[in-house]
Amino acid sequence: MCAASREYDTGAVAVSSAILVVDDHDGFRAFARAMLEMAGFTVAEAASGTEATQAAAIIRPRLVLLDIQLPDFDGFEVARRLAAQEDQPVIVLTSTREASDYGGRIAASPAAGFLPKDQLSGAALSAFLTQSPR
Amino acid sequence: MRHRRRNILIAGAAAAAAFTVVTYYINGWPQPLGPPIYVITSALVLLAYLGVGLAAWQRYPAERIGLLFTMAGYAWFLPSLTQLHYPLPFTAGYLTGSLYQAVLAHLALAWPYGRLRTRLDRVVVAVNYSFNLGNNAVQMLFWNPRTNGCGTACPANLLLADSSSRLYSATGTVFSVIGVCITVAVAALIAWHWRSARGYARQAMTSLIWVAVPIAAYIAILGVPGNLGLSGLALYGIGPLILIAAPVAYAIAMFRARTARRAVGAALVDLEPGPPPARLRDALARALGDPTLQLAFRIPEQGGYQDTSAQAVDPAQLPAGRMLTSLDAAGNAVLVYHELMQHEPELVKVTVTAASLALEHARLQAEVEAQLEQVRASRARIVEAGDAERRRLERDLHDGAQQRLVTLSLALGMARTQATGVNPELAALLEAAAGEAQAAITELRELARGIHPAVLTETGLAGAVQALAERSPVATTITAVPEGRYPAQIEATAYFVVSEALANIAKHAAASSTRITVRELTGRLVVEVSDNGTGGARPDGGSGLRGLADRVAAAGGVLRIDSPPGSGTRLEADIPCR
Repeated sequence: MCAASREYDTGAVAVSSAILVVDDHDGFRAFARAMLEMAGFTVAEAASGTEATQAAAIIRPRLVLLDIQLPDFDGFEVARRLAAQEDQPVIVLTSTREASDYGGRIAASPAAGFLPKDQLSGAALSAFLTQSPR
Repeated sequence: MRHRRRNILIAGAAAAAAFTVVTYYINGWPQPLGPPIYVITSALVLLAYLGVGLAAWQRYPAERIGLLFTMAGYAWFLPSLTQLHYPLPFTAGYLTGSLYQAVLAHLALAWPYGRLRTRLDRVVVAVNYSFNLGNNAVQMLFWNPRTNGCGTACPANLLLADSSSRLYSATGTVFSVIGVCITVAVAALIAWHWRSARGYARQAMTSLIWVAVPIAAYIAILGVPGNLGLSGLALYGIGPLILIAAPVAYAIAMFRARTARRAVGAALVDLEPGPPPARLRDALARALGDPTLQLAFRIPEQGGYQDTSAQAVDPAQLPAGRMLTSLDAAGNAVLVYHELMQHEPELVKVTVTAASLALEHARLQAEVEAQLEQVRASRARIVEAGDAERRRLERDLHDGAQQRLVTLSLALGMARTQATGVNPELAALLEAAAGEAQAAITELRELARGIHPAVLTETGLAGAVQALAERSPVATTITAVPEGRYPAQIEATAYFVVSEALANIAKHAAASSTRITVRELTGRLVVEVSDNGTGGARPDGGSGLRGLADRVAAAGGVLRIDSPPGSGTRLEADIPCR
C-alpha cells in the first residue's frame, strides 16, 4: 500500500483541491456530492474506512468529510490513519448524532472539527478550509 | 396399675422404716441401746434404695433396674429382723444378713438398665446369691450367739448344730477365701463392662465405677476379720451412708437423661439456621454425651452411606451394639447410635425429630438460596437484554430513519437553493419543509437519546456523565469519574443513577448546585450524586427512585438515599463490578 501511494504521487497533486466524502450511506453520499459540486468543489467518494485511506493516499484531497459510523472501523480510527499520511488533509467529522454524543473524543482526534450531517453545506466546509490554511 | 404398685412400694418402705425404729426403741434390744445414728443411717439407706427403685420403675417400666434397687432396699432391711427378740426372726435375720451384698453385686453387673449382659455375668450373680445364703447358713450351724456373741441376752440360734468354735472359725476362713474370689470376679466384670462401653454407655458406666469402688471397699472391710480395727459406730453408724452413693448416682443419671432431651433442643437453637451436617452431628453428640453418634447420608453414586467424617456406614451390617434410625421417609439420612440409647425411646425420638428438622431446614434453605440465585441471575439477564435491545433500537434509528431524514433535509435545502430567485413561492414552501425535516431530526435525536445514550456506548461512563452534567439545568460539578471502561450493564446502571438523580434534582429539589462523584473501590463502583436542595426525597415515593433502586438491585448493587427535609439529598449507588 505504501508503494502504491508513492506510484500515484504525481497524479495526486493535480486534484489536491478535491473533497473526499466518506460515508456508507449511498443516498447521503449522492446528495452530498451534488450539493458540494454545486458549490464548486471537486468531490470523490469512499464507502468505508479502508476505501477512505486508500483513496486519500491517491487523491490527496484538501478536505475529508468523514462519517463517524462506518462499517469497518470508526471515523476516529480513519482520522488517525489519515493524519499519519504525508500531506494531511483537513478532516471534518460528521454524524447524524450531535457532537456531545461523542464527548471528548472529537477534540482528542486529529480532526479539525465536527459538522452535524443536517448542517452540511458548501459554505460550512469552506469555513473549515479557511480556518486550516494549507 | 402403676399407682397401685407405687402405693404398695410406699407402704412397704414406710412399714420397714417404722419397724426399724419401733423395734429399736420399743423392743429394747439389743442391750445397751446405741446412739440414734444407727437407726437413722439404716432408715436413710432403705429409703434411698426404695425411693430410687420406685422412680426408676415408673420411668422405665420395661427395665429391671427399678426392681433391683427395690430388692436391695428390702435386703438391706432384712438384718433388722434380728432386733425382734425372738429366736425365729433372730435366726432369719442373721441368715439373710449379707444378702443385700449379693443384690448390690447383681445391681452393679446389671447397671445401668437391669439386664445381665452375658452368661458369665449370670453365673457370677447366681453363685454370689448362693454363696451369701450358704455362707451364713453353714456358719450358723456352728455359731452359738450366747457363747460367741451377745451373751445370755441373745435369743437362741435355731440352726445351731455344733457349738465348737473350732469349726466356726475353720468354715469362716474357707468362706472368707471364697468370698474374696467372688468379689474379685465381680470387680473384674464391672471393669470389663466399663472398658468395653463406648459413648453413651461409657458415661453411665463411669458413674458406676465412682460409686462401686467405695461401696466395695466398705463391704470388704465388713468381711475382713477384725474390721481393720474400726469402731462399731464407724462400721454400722456412718459406714452404711456410703451405700446411698448408688441410688444417688442413678438418680443423677436419670435426671441427666431427662435434661438431655432439653439439651438436644437447646443444641439446635444454638446452631445457626441450616447448620452443616458435621456441626449438627457434633451438637447432638455433645447434647447426648455420646461421642460415637454418627450422622450418615446416602451417597447415590456409590449406593452406600457415609457419615460426616467420611466413614462408610453399611445399614445392613452395623457393628455390634449400634442401632440405626432413618431421618426421612426416603432413608437418605440416618442416625447411628449406641444400642443402649433404645432404653431412652423418648430421647431417641426427640433426637431424630430434631436432626430431621435441622436437615430439612438446611435442605430448604439450600433450595431457596439456589432459587434466589437463579432469580437474581435471570433478573440481571432481563435487564441486560433490555439494555442491549435499547442499544440496538438507538443504533437502528440512527442508521435508518435519522439518516434518511438528514438526506431528505439536505435534498430540501438544495431544492430551496435552486428555487430561490426562480420560483419564490416554491422556495418558501421548500424552506418550510426543510424546517419541518430539521424539527423531526431534532425530535428523533432526543428520542434516540432517551432510548439509549449513544455517548455511553461511544465514550464510556466518564464522557456520558460529562454530557449529563453539561445538559443539566442545575450547576453541576464532577468531583471524580474513572476514565476506564466497564461492562455495559455496569456503565448503564451507573449512568441511569446519575441521569435519574439529575432529572429528580431539576424537577423537585430546588437546588442551586449538584455534585457527582463516581469512585472505583475494590470490586465496586460507587456512584454518588448530592445536591443542596430541599431534601425529603423518599425511596418509595416517586416511581423514579423505586425503579432506580430495582435497576441497581438487578445489577447486584444497593441504592441508598439520604434526604433529610431541608438539608439536601444524597443518593448513593453501590454497584459490584465483577
